[in-house]
Amino acid sequence: MSFQPTSFQPATFRIDGETIDATPRPGQCLRTFLREQGRFGVKKGCDSGDCGACTVHLDGRPVHACLLPAHRAEGREVTTIEGLSCCGRLHPVQQRFLDAQAFQCGFCTPGMVMTAAALDPAQRARPDRLLKGNLCRCTGYRAIREAVQGEIPAAGSRDVQAPGGRGVVDGTARFTMDVAVERLSHIKVLQSPHASARIRRIDVAAAMAVPGVLAVLTHRDAPAACFSTARHENPLDDVDDTRVLDPVIRFAGQRVAAVVAETEAAAERARDLIAVDYEILPAVFDPEAAMAPGAPVIHDKPAAVSRIADPARNVAAEVHGGVGDVAAGFAEADAIHEGVYESQRVSHAQLETHGAVGWIRNGRLVIRTSSQTPFLTRDALARLYDLPPERVRVVCGRVGGGFGGKQEMLVEDLVALAVLRTGRPAKLELTRAEQFTMTTTRHPMKVRVKVGAKADGALTAIEMRIVADTGAYGNHAPGVLFHAAGEAVALYRCPNKKIDGWAVYTNQVPSGAFRGYGLSQTGFAVESAMDELARRLGMDPFAFRRRNVVVPGDPMVSLDAGPHDVEFGSYGLDQCLDRVERALAEDHRIGGAPAGRRPPVARAAGERPGPAPSGAAPVGEASAGATPPAVGGPGEGVSGERPAVGGAGEGAAGDWLVGRGMAVGMIDTIPPRGHVAHSRIALDGEHYLLTVGTAEFGAGTSTVHVQIAAQALGVSPDRIRLQQSDTDLGAHDTGAFGSTGTVVAGQATLRAAQALADALRRAAAERLGAAVEECVLGAGGVTDGRRTVRLSTLAGVSAEGRADGTPRSVAFNVQGFVVAVHRRYGTLKILRSVHAADAGFVVNPRQCRGQIEGGVAQAIGAALWEEVRLDGEGRVETPAFRGYRLPAMGDLPVTEVHFARTHDRLGPLGAKSMSESPFNPVAAALASAIRDATGLRMTATPFLADRIHAAMRARAAEPDFTQPDFRTEETDRERHPAGS
Amino acid sequence: MRPFQYLKATNVAGALRAGRDASDDPSATAYLAGGTTLLDLMKLDVIGPTRLIDLRALASEHGTIRVDGDALRLGAFASMAAAADHPDVRERAPVIAQSLSLAASAQLRNMATLGGNVLQRTRCAYFRDPSWAACNKRRPGSGCAAVGGANRQHAVLGAGADCIAAYPGDFAQALIALDATVRLVGPEGARSIAFSDLHRDPKGAPHLETTLKPGEIVTEFVVPAARWARRSLYLKIRDRQSYEFAVTSAAVALDIEDGVVGEARIALGGVATRPWRATTAEETLRGAVLTEARAAEAGRAAFAGAVAQSHNAFKIELGRRTIVRALLAAAAMEVDHG
Repeated sequence: MSFQPTSFQPATFRIDGETIDATPRPGQCLRTFLREQGRFGVKKGCDSGDCGACTVHLDGRPVHACLLPAHRAEGREVTTIEGLSCCGRLHPVQQRFLDAQAFQCGFCTPGMVMTAAALDPAQRARPDRLLKGNLCRCTGYRAIREAVQGEIPAAGSRDVQAPGGRGVVDGTARFTMDVAVERLSHIKVLQSPHASARIRRIDVAAAMAVPGVLAVLTHRDAPAACFSTARHENPLDDVDDTRVLDPVIRFAGQRVAAVVAETEAAAERARDLIAVDYEILPAVFDPEAAMAPGAPVIHDKPAAVSRIADPARNVAAEVHGGVGDVAAGFAEADAIHEGVYESQRVSHAQLETHGAVGWIRNGRLVIRTSSQTPFLTRDALARLYDLPPERVRVVCGRVGGGFGGKQEMLVEDLVALAVLRTGRPAKLELTRAEQFTMTTTRHPMKVRVKVGAKADGALTAIEMRIVADTGAYGNHAPGVLFHAAGEAVALYRCPNKKIDGWAVYTNQVPSGAFRGYGLSQTGFAVESAMDELARRLGMDPFAFRRRNVVVPGDPMVSLDAGPHDVEFGSYGLDQCLDRVERALAEDHRIGGAPAGRRPPVARAAGERPGPAPSGAAPVGEASAGATPPAVGGPGEGVSGERPAVGGAGEGAAGDWLVGRGMAVGMIDTIPPRGHVAHSRIALDGEHYLLTVGTAEFGAGTSTVHVQIAAQALGVSPDRIRLQQSDTDLGAHDTGAFGSTGTVVAGQATLRAAQALADALRRAAAERLGAAVEECVLGAGGVTDGRRTVRLSTLAGVSAEGRADGTPRSVAFNVQGFVVAVHRRYGTLKILRSVHAADAGFVVNPRQCRGQIEGGVAQAIGAALWEEVRLDGEGRVETPAFRGYRLPAMGDLPVTEVHFARTHDRLGPLGAKSMSESPFNPVAAALASAIRDATGLRMTATPFLADRIHAAMRARAAEPDFTQPDFRTEETDRERHPAGS
Repeated sequence: MRPFQYLKATNVAGALRAGRDASDDPSATAYLAGGTTLLDLMKLDVIGPTRLIDLRALASEHGTIRVDGDALRLGAFASMAAAADHPDVRERAPVIAQSLSLAASAQLRNMATLGGNVLQRTRCAYFRDPSWAACNKRRPGSGCAAVGGANRQHAVLGAGADCIAAYPGDFAQALIALDATVRLVGPEGARSIAFSDLHRDPKGAPHLETTLKPGEIVTEFVVPAARWARRSLYLKIRDRQSYEFAVTSAAVALDIEDGVVGEARIALGGVATRPWRATTAEETLRGAVLTEARAAEAGRAAFAGAVAQSHNAFKIELGRRTIVRALLAAAAMEVDHG
């Protein structure tokens, strides 16, 4: 025999130094095989070789385990993240990732470490190209690059390491799917190919006949009740328009039916055998068209019950309000700018997809899920399936990224249905394609803004009209619209404001909560408009902001001037503006004057940028060896480091137009209408056991909780043990959204820890016969200065703390960019990225900086490349990372982060929120930098190079770039008064 | 993923025999090399072989890279990483090394083979998603959803009404530019063909992408020695800096003596339905002094027959400029012909 049939044959594998005899299933890939061998450190992010989360070593070389048939590893040495460390000692790369805290959610970390561990020292010095096969959504890569290069900044005293960090780097941290469950069944979902249809008939007989199928669930099996997938403290905040399985199809990708089977393969085969007879219905894809008379009605539900604002007009939610008289305001303005700014649909792209595992234990339904809101999901499941809440337990493992996407119940309802129906444990883990087609996105928005000001810069009127596309369901539509209409306008002191907004149903993938919660879209509009208005007035953008932003004492007004619970608990916007202005002014790549003061035309046409920009510029891949060709084309892929290098005979440095831009963001530190957290802390021997409800998905709040408790109890952080996100432990917690992990849940922890400290001092005082005021709590126990009561003798004491999220403060972000735009090709390079944040007292500077870097990185992706594109029939065209352009390490600049020095009187230890807000000013700052460089105002994200190029061409009314005479520099400049 | 039967060939003869045993339904059997395209497409349900014949063992026989006489011989089972990093390849044909190192990711380059790389399938979104009914490549006769659909990434050269999918690879452009030949072995024996004859024009039968006969295996690429191979480079333009298929690309090779172009080779990626040699563009350069204007003329010649779709008209001008830039950069290279 010259070949050996090996299917179904037992084989011998070498995994992490162990010899294992096993029989991979026919068709099984190495990734799932390794996980079945307990190697849960091998993650699934895409299952198609795009993200690198499953990277393992095969005979010492990094490969994607998802693209390798398991049998292929036979007789070869397989090393996973869990086999990289040896004898309890971390591999040096793992140690460096730990030292640098080069992770947030940690889901990409095993793959990242495996790829990095195979690099030689020369390669490690320049990791950008070699790590492009590993995607990280959280960090912005700065800390990862430092870990790989081994250049790790010294940690400050407050830079406490994240609890559980060692498990992240050695692969033993357990995420949602990293559990072995006996008798587990698998769920696969049939999705609709049509954007609008009614299911006439659904025949599951053939599917049921597939061996191993336990159930096929259709709308006939689902509860009749409608709910919202959005999770909020008050369920009445959202519209009830969704069913677990619905006979009416409202978007392509919607769930039609679900198969529960013994194996994934059987479930998939059965899914494809479900016969559905659809009655195709008219669909509408444009929100404006959907509001027009005669448009198909997407949710024919009574408004009173569903809380849909206007079902007949497809309006899920609307807001209208303002103050003063905008017409009068514009009448007295010396300059007015009006523009329409569009933000596209983007994906959260958490590396861990949505997924849940459920089972029944002791008569209770248990759901282990990837959620930002375990308690609210527990309540929702109890309501939906008519179970007492105490009969439902929702628990999270480590959550592999959220960004708002997991403030929804998108899989738990179906897992619960399967478990309740079959009695069997069941798992639903979405594929990356399903993640793109079945979950949620940012709300695309079209925002018309009109702003007017007097010659001295004082704003006279702001008018904003928002049309948000909520897609097929109204989850988060009211909240996102309300927030979008809020702080972006409230930031400005202006007597006349008018805002109208509609969140409109269309037959497209639903929008939902997304980092920034509407503010990134209206922020792009308002901040771009303010920059235009400042230019019209000949004012510097920083000076214009200083003239107009709210300061303590000013009312914060958007929809109304009524009383609310938002206060200036602290104010650091002035410091942020100063810091970013200084950084941009000192940038050596552009000569003297600050951005905006000088007419852009003078610099753009006349001057060449000084030394070749490098360093802060994104580092690309050099193509040719000795002489890298000059940068070209859209997006530019070559010789990325040196935008000013010229190819022979070409325009070289003079082709690069350099400009600066900035934008501001303000955010309420807590969402309105109640956000509740409870913490409990108990003395447990020499340690304290801290129980919080809030979930950790990478924002670093676990560390902050530990630090807050440690400080209040006078011990080092390693004395605090944390347990969290389990509805069986601790009392109600609204969840980790709206940047509340520190400011609300942290407040509850602070109160619990302070209460415990008081209780311990009282108990000790009693024992010592001393006054409570004399007693001091410390690491060794409670002392009155002479005698000490050891903690171990005080065991059993515990305390609780509660926070309810009011009153609220405001946090600020200012982003600045220096960019270079290629005059002839539209190529954009970020030469410098500077961010200043007012986060109050920064509990953990390294983590908070990571939040900001990651937020800016995600926002750069959304501003420059990312787009969930739909075709004319409402179908997602970008269901994979290969086409949905998540930034890789080499795509991003380093963002310098500065903190204002403030102390918030409302937040715990003086802290404010800082997780979603860094995203918000980025798109406008980039647009304004492009405007400064080129004279062009980009009004729709993403700013792809071909769009910039097309806009440059259109503006210049350039007859044709294809003319035979490639113009010389001089003639080009004449015809191309760049910046005009 | 669907279950499949997995067979390991230990040598060429075994592989061919296994392929022949399965010849009743050719689409039911597939050869498995690096697997980075095959497994991906199987998971997407675009293809559904029930039997894979693993050819990895052939690497011992057909996985080396060496210089033979003056020719570069690249074993088809060498990994992309091995070829990209090979000193002889980098020196003698930089365009090959660059085309490989600019493609994919480190992990994929470790896995993927050279032979598999040239056979990779298009990234057309309609081809890769079987829920689209219309795709002549996937289901002959079903139509083309990309015509009139989202076609920013699609071809402007060699496209017809039945298929406008772009050939996605980079390495193939280097091979076609350097007049490589392909060595094949099949049930009817071994043969060699010009690399330019390996891929078919999509017209009429877009589902047939190559001229490989049933059961044939690519074993080697032979790149003849030439002065222009040393003065060669690959310029890849894409939407972001890293990890992206080409929007446009150019593999160029030049022989320049005293400022005059003796021989010019130009191949284009990202813009055509198959690996694409721009021979008319090359002709405009022979015997000429390479100025920017002359390079622009070559660019125009290369795209003379281009047909834009609704979203990709920009590729024509971008492709022309890619040629100009690549030619000028190649002319400026310092080359040691020793």
